[in-house]
Amino acid sequence: MRYLMMSKAGGQAPDERLFAEMGKFVEELTAAGVLLATGGLAPASIRVASVDGEITVTDGPFAEAKEAVAGFALVEVRSEAEVIELAKRFRRIVGDGEGYIQQVF
Amino acid sequence: MEVNRTLDAVWKLEAARVVGALTRMVGDVGLAEELAQDALVTALRQWPRDGVPDNPAAWLTAVAKRRAVDHLRRARRERAVAVEPEQERPAEDDVLRLVFLACHPVLPTVERVALTLKLVCGLTTEEIARAFLVDTATVAERVARAKRTLAEHPPRTPGQLSSVCEVIYLVFNEGYSATSGDDLLRPGLCLEALRLGRVLAELVPADPEVHGLVALMELQASRAAARTGPDGEPVRLHEQNRGRWDPLLIRRGFTALLRARGAGPPGPYVLQAAIAACHAGARSAEDTDWAQIAALYDALVHLLPTPIVHLNRAVAIGMARGPEAGLELLDAIAADLRDYHLLPSARGDLLLRLGRGVEARREFERAAALTDNAAERAFLRRRADEAATPVGRTVAEVVAEFLAREDFDRSTIRSYGQTLGRLRRAVGDRTPLDSVTTEDIGEMFTAVWESASAKTWNRHRSAIRSFCAWAEIPDLSTSVDRRAETRRAAAPIVGQPWEEGAPIRERLLWTLLRESRSPVRAVLDLDVEHLDLAHRRALGGVRWREETARLLPELLGGRDRGPLFLADRRPGPGRVPRPEDLCPVTGRGRLSYERAEYLFKRATGLTLGQLRNARK
Repeated sequence: MRYLMMSKAGGQAPDERLFAEMGKFVEELTAAGVLLATGGLAPASIRVASVDGEITVTDGPFAEAKEAVAGFALVEVRSEAEVIELAKRFRRIVGDGEGYIQQVF
Repeated sequence: MEVNRTLDAVWKLEAARVVGALTRMVGDVGLAEELAQDALVTALRQWPRDGVPDNPAAWLTAVAKRRAVDHLRRARRERAVAVEPEQERPAEDDVLRLVFLACHPVLPTVERVALTLKLVCGLTTEEIARAFLVDTATVAERVARAKRTLAEHPPRTPGQLSSVCEVIYLVFNEGYSATSGDDLLRPGLCLEALRLGRVLAELVPADPEVHGLVALMELQASRAAARTGPDGEPVRLHEQNRGRWDPLLIRRGFTALLRARGAGPPGPYVLQAAIAACHAGARSAEDTDWAQIAALYDALVHLLPTPIVHLNRAVAIGMARGPEAGLELLDAIAADLRDYHLLPSARGDLLLRLGRGVEARREFERAAALTDNAAERAFLRRRADEAATPVGRTVAEVVAEFLAREDFDRSTIRSYGQTLGRLRRAVGDRTPLDSVTTEDIGEMFTAVWESASAKTWNRHRSAIRSFCAWAEIPDLSTSVDRRAETRRAAAPIVGQPWEEGAPIRERLLWTLLRESRSPVRAVLDLDVEHLDLAHRRALGGVRWREETARLLPELLGGRDRGPLFLADRRPGPGRVPRPEDLCPVTGRGRLSYERAEYLFKRATGLTLGQLRNARK
């Protein structure tokens, strides 16, 4: 099963130590064959909407910085319990903040 | 049971590292696993009470290691063994050693697979049993036996990478092309194999074959969503919706294949991955570079000359150089893959492309009869139906009708049923009987019972002949000879074999045999135009007396040409007799030896030979 793990911005500003630990974590997940793809997301977003068939493209929305999704990881796991365990490990590294896990199908 | 699920997930993530470290400490993989299990039991007791620890993986590892140290202390007290202080070693080394040990060539393959899934992937015995569709006790026994072997005879060599790759690919294939059961994909096993392969590629990055294996699995897995239809039926590669192929896995496959490029000629996994990459890289089925694929198979068949590789090579060459070339190669390997359903299936494909629909249909039917997978069987039957419309009754129907005969006792039905069951598997249940030739049956017969004892051979032979005679399939004895077996000769004693009112054909045949004392075949070969009624003789030297002379005109009924003794029905379209065996007046064929024998045996219980020699 595949899950998309998303993490919101916020919490402490990343320092060198955090970068190093994150790098190690990503390396471990890759080596374990779990991590398929990962990346960070720029805070700026563009909104594309269709209303009554009319498509509008606008800048934004400018959510509060700590509400925006800042990074994602696509993982392939055996079970929901496994992805939860991975998310917990991730949280232990990055500290306070929140994120979401959604199954990909 | 949230705690149980967490523990299970953590264990599966950590099993290889924990068992690997413990194996290094205590020197025995079986003992290491037991100590790790102790730690799991402790967790099951404590976690629900105290809550899941903050770092469950570290907790589990620490408790398991403490168990190992306790064990070593006890052993030291008992046997004065020195306990070396635990040194921190890279977990990767432990994992690699464990994988090599679990896949060690001293173990039979099934045990390697079970042990690897248990110790390295952390699967439970029940999970392994479910994935391989065997019972739990079987898996438990395999694991126990493997651990015993490794404990009693610790292997001196560290194992082989090729043996590890073999286990991983076997697990992958079991999941990818489930050999039995109704579910075509058992994705869990594919995932385990893929993950294990990825781990191995990180641990042994310098070996091209490991990357080749990973590339092969990634590329094959990329097609998982496209290779089954809505009802679980298989979709052939060239009919798959390529938009459903997973681009992420394809990219990973290509990346792994690039990493596999090393010095020296490519090994079997790299070649297979390269073939898979040819497919993955083709925009559409028509764009497939079959010449390149055929060339890769040419190289692969030297390294891996298995029947399956030969089969796939034949398919590729059939695409690259035409169906005839493919068929020729398939014929060369037919004997090696007698019971493998993909052989007739591939033949069916090639025949269909040559426009030989009826033959293709038979091949698909044969393939359907050989597979144990329900989805695949349904698919092959559909292909058979698409290839050609069936004419006449099917083999299964006729066999069932034959076995339902009232003059058979239970043991005959059982014995004949066994023989004919094999026939059904060989030619396919839904194959129209009319399209089955004597050669087909002869070929099947020789292939299946070649090595059987004379007695078994003859038993099956007589079952088949009895069936053929009844079903009016021509003489089998030309291709399948009776084998000599030592036995007592039966004493033939017979009176008047026919009751009054028996058919004229039977009465005349018996009378003619008796009066002429000619061989049965000579009598059956008689033609009307060669009879000299006035002098009571026929061309070829058969002579008769008054009884035959009296009955002959009744059988002839005005016919002036064609075989004297005719079958009951017209021959089926698939079995056109030679012109000289066909009656131009009635359109019926010559009565066969088997059929005649059957008629006589049914009436008298004696063979033709016995009857002929009997005194009136």
